[in-house]
Amino acid sequence: MLRLYHMYRGCMHEFSICQNLVDAIVNEVNAIQPLPKRLLKVHVALGHLRQIIPEYLQFAYEVLIKDTVAEGSELLVRTVPLEVKCRKCQWQGEIERQAFICKSCGSTELEMLTGMELYLENLEIEVEDAEGN
Amino acid sequence: MLKEIKVYRDLMGANEEWAQKTRDVLKEKNITMVNIIGSPGAGKTALLEKTHALLATDTRFAVLEGDVETTRDAERLAPLNIPVSQLLTDGACHLEAKLVHYALLDLPLNDLDMVIVENVGNLVCPAEFDIGEKAKIAVLSVTEGEDKALKYPLLFREAEAVVVSKTDLLPHIPFNLEACLAAIKQINAQTSIFTLSSLTGDGLEAWVQWLKSIR
Ligand SMILES: Nc1nc2c(ncn2[C@@H]2O[C@H](COP(=O)(O)OP(=O)(O)O)[C@@H](O)[C@H]2O)c(=O)[nH]1
Ligand SMILES: [Mg+2]
Ligand SMILES: [Zn+2]
Repeated sequence: MLRLYHMYRGCMHEFSICQNLVDAIVNEVNAIQPLPKRLLKVHVALGHLRQIIPEYLQFAYEVLIKDTVAEGSELLVRTVPLEVKCRKCQWQGEIERQAFICKSCGSTELEMLTGMELYLENLEIEVEDAEGN
Repeated sequence: MLKEIKVYRDLMGANEEWAQKTRDVLKEKNITMVNIIGSPGAGKTALLEKTHALLATDTRFAVLEGDVETTRDAERLAPLNIPVSQLLTDGACHLEAKLVHYALLDLPLNDLDMVIVENVGNLVCPAEFDIGEKAKIAVLSVTEGEDKALKYPLLFREAEAVVVSKTDLLPHIPFNLEACLAAIKQINAQTSIFTLSSLTGDGLEAWVQWLKSIR
């Protein structure tokens, strides 16, 4: 059996992208009126073709949220599959990263529908209710 | 009370803004910029050294050399007598659009037709960052193995051209060129592929013709 080991550290590009994420979160949270009590969860969409490793992003996130409004929040990464549409036969569906070939007719003339996403989708916050709780 | 807030924030947005500014400048000045990406030692700088003689006949070009450290690559290109700047990332594994933008503005833009950027040696990270280029070009040497396109699909998917370099070494190493080309086509059937050697000059002509053709 093949043993698999992953290195949970990552490289600079995950840090660079994660800094953009933290900046975006801080801007969004500060724009909410009244200011939320707490930021609980952060949802990010990540296309499958992007070479950004969710675990690396996670690691960078924990480092970079220190002393920001996002401290203590949880990062949830949703991977968006690589989906294409065939220009020849109109087939539409998911493919693997290693073979940009239509699964129906074998054509290589594909239009990418999803797979390059990299955005902040959603914030879950705790706000004070009418009674001030 | 819990609340969910829908937001849509492109995490590459800031980089994208700088890349767009660069595209605006390039358009106004009618300059074509290309972004050369490959592993450390793939032969990117050697390719630029040899490209010069054929390209400079009718194309005025400058080079932006991206590296983690040292100005060695820019110094290698100094004898060519073209504008060359060294971009240092101080540890980062890729060039970002803002750095490229400022380096571009310092070039003599009124006297240029083309800017060639040599990105930091790396097959992963530079592919993620748009720097405002017209085309990404992947450089892969025959000593790196046939399967690189499959392992780094994003770069090869995005590349308008792939240069398979150091073909003079083919008789000396176990490397299946056909398998390498097949792997590239499996990721990107539309890309233009050039097999060449900067050492012997074999195949350089077709590559430079292509470079001129995207002007
Ligand atoms: N045999 C051979 N060696 C090459 C060729 N191109 C580059 N090299 C050598 O490969 C090494 C790395 O080249 P360089 O241009 O610095 O690669 P870069 O890191 O991609 O810029 C150097 O020792 C070059 O002399 C080639 O076409 N054939
Ligand atoms: Mg170099
Ligand atoms: Zn099809």
